[in-house]
Amino acid sequence: MFGLEITPVIAAITVSHYLIVGAILFVIGAVCMATKRNALGILMGIELVLNGANINFIAFGSPYLRDDNLGLDGQLISLFVIVLAAAEAAVALAIALNFYNNHNTIDIDRADELKG
Amino acid sequence: MNLQQLIKQLANDSTESLSWFLPEIVLCAVIMLLLLVRLFDGKQRLDLWFVAIAGSVVSFLFSQPWLVCGGGVERTEIFTGLLVIDGFTIAVRSIILLFLVLFLVFTKISGIPDSDDSPDIYTLVFGATLGMCLMVSSNHLLMIFLAIEMASVPSYALAGMLKGRKRGSEAALKYAIYGAGAAGVMLYGISLLAGLTSSAHLPTIALQLAENLGTMSGSEQLVLVLSGLLISVGLAFKLSAVPFHFWAPDVFHGSCAEVNAFLSIASKAAALGLLVRIGIGVGYVPGLEQEVAQDVEAGPAVVAGLLPVAEEAIEPIEDSVEQEVTVNEALQPVRDFIGKLIALLAMITCTFGNLAAYSQTNIKRLLAYSTIAHAGYMMMAIAPLMSSLGSDYGVAEGALSGLLLYIVVYVFMNLGAFAVVAFLRNYIASEEIADYSGMIRSRPYIVICLVLALFSLVGLPPLAGFLGKFAVFASIADAFRATDATYLLVLLLVGGVNTALSLYYYLRVAKIMVMEEPAEGVDIEQYPKAGLEAVYLVAITLPTALLIFFWNPVHAYVVDAVKALIS
Repeated sequence: MFGLEITPVIAAITVSHYLIVGAILFVIGAVCMATKRNALGILMGIELVLNGANINFIAFGSPYLRDDNLGLDGQLISLFVIVLAAAEAAVALAIALNFYNNHNTIDIDRADELKG
Repeated sequence: MNLQQLIKQLANDSTESLSWFLPEIVLCAVIMLLLLVRLFDGKQRLDLWFVAIAGSVVSFLFSQPWLVCGGGVERTEIFTGLLVIDGFTIAVRSIILLFLVLFLVFTKISGIPDSDDSPDIYTLVFGATLGMCLMVSSNHLLMIFLAIEMASVPSYALAGMLKGRKRGSEAALKYAIYGAGAAGVMLYGISLLAGLTSSAHLPTIALQLAENLGTMSGSEQLVLVLSGLLISVGLAFKLSAVPFHFWAPDVFHGSCAEVNAFLSIASKAAALGLLVRIGIGVGYVPGLEQEVAQDVEAGPAVVAGLLPVAEEAIEPIEDSVEQEVTVNEALQPVRDFIGKLIALLAMITCTFGNLAAYSQTNIKRLLAYSTIAHAGYMMMAIAPLMSSLGSDYGVAEGALSGLLLYIVVYVFMNLGAFAVVAFLRNYIASEEIADYSGMIRSRPYIVICLVLALFSLVGLPPLAGFLGKFAVFASIADAFRATDATYLLVLLLVGGVNTALSLYYYLRVAKIMVMEEPAEGVDIEQYPKAGLEAVYLVAITLPTALLIFFWNPVHAYVVDAVKALIS
């Protein structure tokens, strides 16, 4: 088409490619957790961390990526983690709502009445 | 193996496993009952506390703590290796369930939660307890994460149990956010460990590590260490170990004393149980000799497991008896890493907890820092366990039984302290230490119980706290003599110095209550005299005061409990 020849990317995708994506998600999530002041922002960071770990599990469990793999365990763990993340988010959001009712904000810098 | 055979085997395995799983099943049934009974009761409100207490007693009886006597419980993997049952599991699970019974009686007497809230609160308490029972029996990375989350998520809600309190909501928010963050980081560490060893089953991981540790490249070792550190973040959070302790004082200050007792005792006991499970799980392959012996008799067909994971676990054992020596020797670096990491964390945690407790004016904050310090003492017992597991089983057993003894003692003395705090809050509506001054004149029984609990927390003989501390420190000394590792000596010294340090702030509370004049404006006389409270407190304090007379049976029990675990 238009005289252009599209050269395909030759190198096969390996476990490391998935791990890099997972690591990037983990770092973004960790930075998000450390820097956000809004409680919901922090919760989003936690979701990113969990999903970074999930990508690792899927990659380690895939029989197409390496012979010595985690097998079905990897996929099962990631399914459980998805469900747990939802449960945790439900409780954390309810607690954030409770905090909002008492403080009229969900800025965690305002959670300074108790000083450790 | 075709599908039908697989299903048949799975069914067999599950039915055999269920008999070990009865305490957890009862807990689940009580949760359902607490949620459903309210649908049907009409105008007459049934007090669901009775359902809860009956369920907890039944669950405690099903945990069968007497099975341990005589060391009769073999290590058994149930549910295709997801969970493991042995003397240690049964003992710690029984302690947690016994605490649940005592805790429910405590909440009934102190009146929080009230009858409107109690079904919700008890549902959360039972859910968290279920998670804790799973924590002490988990044998698989998935179960470890699942159990930690099951124990944590209800605890977040419990921390904000009192409605409309600014501090309570703040405590719950902090707890939930720190907790969820720590769990996420831990999960990432778990994923790295599982990927590196291509398994999530702890004994298989140990075998893989033993096989590959020598040939690992530098970067692989780096990833292994990283995964260990990330997993320790999640565990340190559950143990409230420094540097992941921030939540503890705030949560304890913001939530009520009843919840504090639950978080400070049941959650710590379960976290220590899990720490032992992980430490032994990846640092030691148990029962190699027995399994080899079985193989010779019955052939490999009998032990071939359900899942490929289990088969992998057994294959290397079949090779030869020599491997038994090499596998557990090859794991020495792993054990050293875990033992030194925990020793370091324990020393920092203990010292920090004791120093920070000095300046506290609120009794709940003081007890929060005391909880942190005690988590440090209990973690200390794991260092000698790890250092001598492969070489000297007697010392390892001593360390583990010392830890178990400390947990038993800790249940009673800390529950006593928090019960007094809750009852005094009901009388004088204050939790400031200054308001307790001169309390001995109006409420001598309560004050004597608190003073005994505090002295026991210091570890003064002849109280129970002394016995727990002595057992832990003695095991560290034994391990130092056996291995000559300097860090154990440092650990022992730090533990001793800390015990002396902690004397001051516990005694300060006792001094204010006994020696000083009553505070102005707090008229204690107008409040009703203690009735049931006094009975409960005496019942809780008696084991603390009298354990020294029953030292032998208790000690024999904890030694029996750990016997099958590591030999």
